[in-house]
Amino acid sequence: MGQSNTIRILDGNTFVVCEDTGDIEATPSEPTGLFSIDTRFLSTWVLTVNGERLNSLSYDDLQYFESRFFLVPGMATHYVDAKLSIIRERTVGGSFCEQLTILNHDEKPVDLEVRMDAASDFADLFQVKDEILNKKGEIYTEVESDRLRLGYRRGNFRRETVISSSMSARYDSKGFAYTVHLEPNEQWDASIDVQTHAVGPGGRDLRFGLRKHGTERLALQHDLEKWIADAPKVNSEHGRVASTYRRSLIDLAALRFSPLSLGGATLPAAGLPWFMTMFGRDSILTCLQTLPFTPQLSKTTLRILASLQGSRFDDFRDEDPGRILHEMRYGETAAFEEQPHSPYYGSVDATPLFIVLLDEYERWSGDVALVKELEQESRAALRWIDNYADLVGTGYIWYERRNTDTGLENQCWKDSWDSISYSDGTLPPFPRATCEVQGYAYDAKVRAARLARQFWGDPEFADQLEREAAELKERFNRDWWVDDGEYFALALDPDGRQCDILSSNIGHLLWSGIVEPERAEKLAAHLVGPRLFSGWGVRTLAEGEARYNPIGYHNGTIWPFDNSFIAWGLRRYGFAEEAATIANGILDAATYFDGRLPEAFGGYPRELTKFPVEYPTACSPQAWSTGTPLLLLRTMLGLEPHEGHLAVEPRLPVGMGRIEVLDIPGRWGRVDAFARGRLDLDKLSD
Amino acid sequence: MVDATTRFFEDLDRRGYEPLLAKTSGTLRIDLHEGAQTRHWLLRIDHGRLNVSQEDQEADTVIGASPVLFDDIASGREHGLAALLRGDMTVSGDARLVVQVERIFPGAPDARGPRRRFAGEVH
Repeated sequence: MGQSNTIRILDGNTFVVCEDTGDIEATPSEPTGLFSIDTRFLSTWVLTVNGERLNSLSYDDLQYFESRFFLVPGMATHYVDAKLSIIRERTVGGSFCEQLTILNHDEKPVDLEVRMDAASDFADLFQVKDEILNKKGEIYTEVESDRLRLGYRRGNFRRETVISSSMSARYDSKGFAYTVHLEPNEQWDASIDVQTHAVGPGGRDLRFGLRKHGTERLALQHDLEKWIADAPKVNSEHGRVASTYRRSLIDLAALRFSPLSLGGATLPAAGLPWFMTMFGRDSILTCLQTLPFTPQLSKTTLRILASLQGSRFDDFRDEDPGRILHEMRYGETAAFEEQPHSPYYGSVDATPLFIVLLDEYERWSGDVALVKELEQESRAALRWIDNYADLVGTGYIWYERRNTDTGLENQCWKDSWDSISYSDGTLPPFPRATCEVQGYAYDAKVRAARLARQFWGDPEFADQLEREAAELKERFNRDWWVDDGEYFALALDPDGRQCDILSSNIGHLLWSGIVEPERAEKLAAHLVGPRLFSGWGVRTLAEGEARYNPIGYHNGTIWPFDNSFIAWGLRRYGFAEEAATIANGILDAATYFDGRLPEAFGGYPRELTKFPVEYPTACSPQAWSTGTPLLLLRTMLGLEPHEGHLAVEPRLPVGMGRIEVLDIPGRWGRVDAFARGRLDLDKLSD
Repeated sequence: MVDATTRFFEDLDRRGYEPLLAKTSGTLRIDLHEGAQTRHWLLRIDHGRLNVSQEDQEADTVIGASPVLFDDIASGREHGLAALLRGDMTVSGDARLVVQVERIFPGAPDARGPRRRFAGEVH
């Protein structure tokens, strides 16, 4: 889904993907349409004037929730007759609203037949993503005098699209039309409203009372302004860092999502178009990235994930007591259990990361009440690590899906089928354990020990957790170290054999603190060395490995979010210059995408391509890519909560100039941070 | 033979406390419709303390389902949230309460749970 000619606007999990004319002509595999709650509500939306398609002169993405298209009759190959202009202005916010304006520039009056073809296939997002469309229910159309109702019914499952207009229109089963007479220089306007309904028995909508902010255009505008005003200001000597920050902040606002039935609280959805829903891993990592800037997201994310924490064994959903969810969906395939996302729990990192976020959040916010509120859930998460995740009995977190039909094979962040391999390229059997997850478990225990001692009044538990963490660290440094390569193996197989390939995952180990200090320098050298570092960022897999491919999803591409945690880890172990090298490369890459980093880009050497090559089906905007510039800023400025105040220890590269971050919120109130580029990164590579 | 729904609620009433609901307070009424007849269960939750009755009283949240479906949910053969998404179970009032209470229903009776590779079951 990387077509650059598609326009996307969104609000939460309602979004529109269309052509540059505003038209939608979806095929089962073409992901254009109006989507909400994981369902396509419009698959055809085509405007004609006197039977002719329209040609785009220009379009504006006004805000993330609105866009405007300037059109004239006739296709692009024709002579453009500019006697008539058509403007389509649309907004999503709960419903979808299109304002249609037609202007007659001629000296003569004109008579126009204005028509919109409208239809919906009600595809589940999963069916669009996997290109399967074999609907088991019935599609229906009801033409009424003042509206057109498109519907889909399967048992009690009903979804409806209801189209109405401010100007009187003639509705038929394939759309609606207006007859318009325009005098010279006259203008005609119509407002079209498209409502999406999840109809339960008795006509109630599944989503009642959900939205926190209003869905009217003005309310959305006001909400966005407040969001920006509440966040710290970033000024930079060279405009690019400040503009990338602003882009990220707006995209984060767009990606906020209110899960069904949780009272309108918002958390970051994972990304457009496939992942506009709640993901344990993505939401937590995005919160960790954005804590210094938008801490309110962390609080709601922790609460929501806690409220849906696993409570029993369910093999279809890979649910265990204490486990934090992987993914929640609301579409037909989840409802009829053709997919397990109601919710699905098949991730092994979300559970330890839940505790990491709770502790990090307290360190910034001083919100002791939340730490106490979530004590029970935190203890359950720790029990999951010890009791249910150690499938081999060697003291590590392992995974092996119990849902062998639709569950995930790889339950770590590199979740594609071929992401975990031995150095000869073959895939190991299950259960598997990946290295970064052991780091998260270590960090979770260390952090939980602090919470237990300071806030839960349980020093014995704190001692026990610290003891376990120390043992884990010792065991890990013994079992996972690859002697001849001098790095940590990507994974272990159930016999304890190493998948001894060099991967970006070693950077996460630095972030978690599980690495013995004397080994950190070797890791730092690998991370900015030629096999892993492309000039733009750290590749997921090192050049020279059997499965390395510069555009392999988890086997060679560069993931901005991955790099932001690697930079944080390098800084933690004192490698400020290496961290700045990575931050600099990723922020350079961001400028090629107008400040909006994609999910992933190619691992080609920087000097070869001169620009970052976007991965063909990358999601954008994607939450943890959006959060990346924010974490890189934190890392370069050395922002760290320390004994109730905010410590600032900037290490910026020379070319970055002066950067200031104003009004950083936290337990200290609001604090400013200033930095000037002093690091000469060229020296590093000598 | 007593149905699974009755067993589920009688068990809750006997236990009187559910730690998973320690932060939850509110009233939940379950209306089980069968033809013209409706059976009611009323669950009062006060910070995890539970009280069960069969009164038809106003509640913060009202769930509607068929007795057969609810029996399957009460015995772990059906999943509450999936039934809700399908429209087979309806909710009016505060939907948060349903999401919280859903977690105390049993898992599938045939669930294996995680299995340790060399030493049998983990749990």
